[in-house]
Amino acid sequence: MRKRLWVMSALALVLVLVSAPLGGCATTGDGEEAPDGGGEGAGKEPYVVGAVLSLTGAQSALGVPEKNAIDLEVARINAEGGINGHPLEVIIEDDASDVDQAIARTTKLIEQDNVLAIIGSTGTGQSMAMREVIAEAGIPQVSLAGSLIITQDFSPLVFQTPWSNALVVDVTLEYLADLGLTNVGLITEDTGFGKDGRTLVAETAANHGLTVVSDQVFKPADTDMTGQLTVIKGAGADVVLMWSSVAASSIVPKNMAQLGMDIPLVGSHGIARQEFVDSAGAAADGVVMFAGKVLAPDAYGVGTPSYEAATSFIDRYAETYGEPPSNTFAGHAYDGLYLVVEALKRLDEGFTPSDLRDEIERTSGFPGIGGVFTFSATDHNGMSADDLVGYRVTDGAWALLE
Amino acid sequence: MEASELLQLVIAGLKNGSIYALLALGFTIVYAATNVINFAQGEFYMLGGMLAVFAFSGLNVPLVAAVALAVVTVAGIGALFERLAIRPRKDADPMALIIITVGGSLVFASVARHLFGSDALPLPEFTPGPSFVFAGAAIERQTIWIWVIVTATVIGLTLLYNRTRLGRAMRACMENREAARLMGIDTARVVMVSFALAAALGALAGVAVTPLTSTRFDIGAGIAVKGFAAAILGGLGSPLAAVAGGLLLGLIEQAVIPFSSVLKDVVALAVLLLVLFVRPQGLFRRTRKEKV
Repeated sequence: MRKRLWVMSALALVLVLVSAPLGGCATTGDGEEAPDGGGEGAGKEPYVVGAVLSLTGAQSALGVPEKNAIDLEVARINAEGGINGHPLEVIIEDDASDVDQAIARTTKLIEQDNVLAIIGSTGTGQSMAMREVIAEAGIPQVSLAGSLIITQDFSPLVFQTPWSNALVVDVTLEYLADLGLTNVGLITEDTGFGKDGRTLVAETAANHGLTVVSDQVFKPADTDMTGQLTVIKGAGADVVLMWSSVAASSIVPKNMAQLGMDIPLVGSHGIARQEFVDSAGAAADGVVMFAGKVLAPDAYGVGTPSYEAATSFIDRYAETYGEPPSNTFAGHAYDGLYLVVEALKRLDEGFTPSDLRDEIERTSGFPGIGGVFTFSATDHNGMSADDLVGYRVTDGAWALLE
Repeated sequence: MEASELLQLVIAGLKNGSIYALLALGFTIVYAATNVINFAQGEFYMLGGMLAVFAFSGLNVPLVAAVALAVVTVAGIGALFERLAIRPRKDADPMALIIITVGGSLVFASVARHLFGSDALPLPEFTPGPSFVFAGAAIERQTIWIWVIVTATVIGLTLLYNRTRLGRAMRACMENREAARLMGIDTARVVMVSFALAAALGALAGVAVTPLTSTRFDIGAGIAVKGFAAAILGGLGSPLAAVAGGLLLGLIEQAVIPFSSVLKDVVALAVLLLVLFVRPQGLFRRTRKEKV
């Protein structure tokens, strides 16, 4: 009996360890802990918004800063008196980077929590899978995933905060054409985001006078891409174009260095994070990608509203979490949250979910961190090529491309 | 395709295959002792890399010591896992034990995320430097380390099985656990040692690969599938068969890439299914008539 007790207590300890992080993120955001900071907020019903984020699994490197950003801004909004006197509550759910989980968590938010709108998910696959449940409920969704398909496969309910792949692919291919790198060796990850980029490059390369000489794919769980890169090398590519956002993307520059490939590597905004540079080490030097201006706020133009929004957000983020956001994803969540919050501010009491949707669509010239958002009845991405700048890895960090 | 490209693909296949082989060895050793497929094997691989990164970057231990520390610690974790999770249910149906190992793998991954975070963590190469070029194909230094480790492991295991008392006890358990127990062999100890050994090999693979790929709390499950497939190809028998299964799987994957890298995993798994249909005992295992 004593032996069993010992085993059971060891198991209990392990369970506590395991459930601690899960419990922290699976329930509610910190918004609940600071319900009504301002005196005016007391008494009024809270506005409840749901967020489905990938806090665990393959996309956790994106989802965790997104959660941080939302927690931070909800506390700030409530400290300043909430939205027209209503405290804001954001209930954050973890989809574990999994499509089925995303649907289940969305259903829970709609049926149990009666949320007004849903922010998320982090990934394309999840964002697309969630829309059926969302369409039934008739509430707006603001996705934080970057694939074109999210706004191209148009739903009046679905908005998107990252620059869509269409925008980034266009700017990136134009860059390759300008440098005369016409033979493109394409390597993409086997996920929703990667497939979206792969299709877009295949369809539009010819418009820029480019040819895809080799089209390779890798799995997020792969440990080695030298095989794919060998085939690209053999096909006579001038440049390797990589459309990927998962952690395995950092293996590509390393494998290129190991193979002695000295052609340039150009990536997507999916690698716009310090983790990519740190993982790839010296091999990341010279990698180019196009993304928003948040990684180098001076690019907004000092003193512009976006510059002020971004720098103030970065400072507050650094103060709370000890370091500034090391990627663009926290900014996508900031934009997603404020697109909903600003619309809620403009609405009178007693609005319906469809009023909220209409109001989000009326967003015009909102200075977000990803860029300046102007939605229309046909454009739910709302950004333009002006919101993108080029970056190159220089001395172990992303620096503006001259 | 040029000869140098072909050679490059073969090198990539042998490199990935060696990693699969080390995992396959872990599956094989535990299976031999317990008839259980240990699905936590991939987590030992993950923990090996994680602990080496932690010791090297967090505790500033020299790389060699960090590697040794990681392997020894994970071996201990493997033994502890057997003691706490497997032994209390040792008479249960193998299926129940397999489910326990699946649960164990989830626990390991969650604890790793809790302790080390969700970012990919890098480790420097054992011997940094440019790749060697051989007939137009590049071999990175770390790959040579991986090959050395696999070769040394096979030699070590063969010696263990054939020359030592413990190894002979392990082989006896492999043949017939009940009879081994009746002959006075401490089968409980053999099982624990098997888990520790399998965990150490998984950790060794993880440590050897981390300089190439970085490591993350969630990489265990993906690599476990590959190691399991390699073990099945080899037939869950001798160490050499496991290594052959791993290398074969690695080579098949690379052979598919020039045609379609999308289908790489699909074709590799289709080959596995085919093997299971034609030779359920694996490619490298002789069938033995069961005496009634």
